[in-house]
Amino acid sequence: MSLTHDDWTTALENGDLLGVRCSDCGATYGTPFAVCNDCGGRDLETTELPEEGEIYTETTVQVPPTGFEGPYQVGTVQLDGARVTARLEGDVEIGDRVVFDGAIDESGDIAPVFRAE
Amino acid sequence: MTRASVVGADMTTFGVHESTLSELFAEAALGAYDDAGVGPDEIDALYFGNAMGGQTENDTHLAPAVASQVGLAGVPCQRYEDACATSANAFKNAVEAVEAGIHDTVLVGGVERCTPETGLGTGEMTRIFASASDRHYEQPTGLTFPGVFALLTKRHMHEHGTTEEQLAHVAVKNHANGTRNPNAHFGKETTVEEVLDSPIVADPFHLMDCCPFSDGASAVIVTSDDRADSFDDPVDVSGVGHATDVVPLSAKPVPHATQAARDAAAQAYEQAGTSADEMAFAEVHDCFTGAEVMASEAIGFFEDGEGGPAAAEGRSSMDGDRPINPSGGLKAKGHPIGATGTAQIVELAEQLRGDTGERQIDGAEKAVAHNLGGDAATTVVSVMEVRG
Ligand SMILES: [Zn+2]
Repeated sequence: MSLTHDDWTTALENGDLLGVRCSDCGATYGTPFAVCNDCGGRDLETTELPEEGEIYTETTVQVPPTGFEGPYQVGTVQLDGARVTARLEGDVEIGDRVVFDGAIDESGDIAPVFRAE
Repeated sequence: MTRASVVGADMTTFGVHESTLSELFAEAALGAYDDAGVGPDEIDALYFGNAMGGQTENDTHLAPAVASQVGLAGVPCQRYEDACATSANAFKNAVEAVEAGIHDTVLVGGVERCTPETGLGTGEMTRIFASASDRHYEQPTGLTFPGVFALLTKRHMHEHGTTEEQLAHVAVKNHANGTRNPNAHFGKETTVEEVLDSPIVADPFHLMDCCPFSDGASAVIVTSDDRADSFDDPVDVSGVGHATDVVPLSAKPVPHATQAARDAAAQAYEQAGTSADEMAFAEVHDCFTGAEVMASEAIGFFEDGEGGPAAAEGRSSMDGDRPINPSGGLKAKGHPIGATGTAQIVELAEQLRGDTGERQIDGAEKAVAHNLGGDAATTVVSVMEVRG
């Protein structure tokens, strides 16, 4: 079995951001999959994602769900070939450079945080 | 080619309802029976949609419950859940079943309650809607559904120059259309200034860029091509496309392309031997104004990047060259999640019969419905036409 959610979460708690890379086609993803969605390959190696990237898209949530205190910024961050969805700090915009800065655990589940460089 | 025919159609008003899910569904279903001139003895199966009853009202195993309410106990009943595309998927499966000869005539529809009548406030309902985003890689960030579509729309704005004013024009148009729909949740017009002055929910979306929380139900009777002529007013289903995109959002190569909609539309047009150019109008899934802009491009009404300017220029208005959401869309008609897909089919059927009064698209021969679920990862596109 390749990278599991439990592995991904444990790594994030320890300050490491993991993704997977397909050995067959080279596609990389910011979250675990059992099978590569690009080529169907099953050999997905765990890989450490780069800690610096660029904002692909973002929004500021003003009306949060129960369990969260708004407002806060959420977005997807381009890290070489992979993207991750993360909490953002520093009022960033599309194209801005950001750096991995640990994790939040606001709802009882962990999410990565990226901060303006 | 005709795959199946819609021979009865009805919906409740969308808005606030005190009745139970089963009672609400029955109101639409009995209307559809009467419209088709059938009773439960002529219905061979139920294809039913409800997205969130388990979470909102602790109410599951709903298919036999609603079937019993409308005299269908005994026939095979199945319930679908595909977020906001719930009842379009029920419709797709119903069309396939009658086309394949498994059943002759079936009832299809959906119901949902999303207003505070459920006992749930905005925060709790926002949390339940967010359950359709990725449980492990999106929900922990605090991402909401306005947030999901904000992420898609912000990138669309970045790539194509779409503006907040253009988005506001979508809301203005759909509110104007909603004033001509007696079933609509909102019956009043708005202005670009009012939209832009309303509070921000998740930028670029103001409150008035977002569809409301609604209660409601919709239902249609679907029969085979062979049997359609024994009914008074059949409308043909000539194509139903259905595609799925990868989740989570971070894995989509071009999220604002809404690829599942492009794939589903291509399938539907090919089955029907037609193209976007032949559609008299579209009903699209405008849960947020940006979603209508992306949908209008994905179904081929406008070139990529032209959806925003087209809305601002009035091209998608009732008197434009490519009308979109004459019903008022989700934005003004309302969005009771599990009822939305078949409500679009109700609008297509009524328009193609020429029965929609002051919101009628004159001479409409063919039309298309686009119903998406989740972060657009599920999309069903249906083409219907006047029976030849
Ligand atoms: Zn691969």
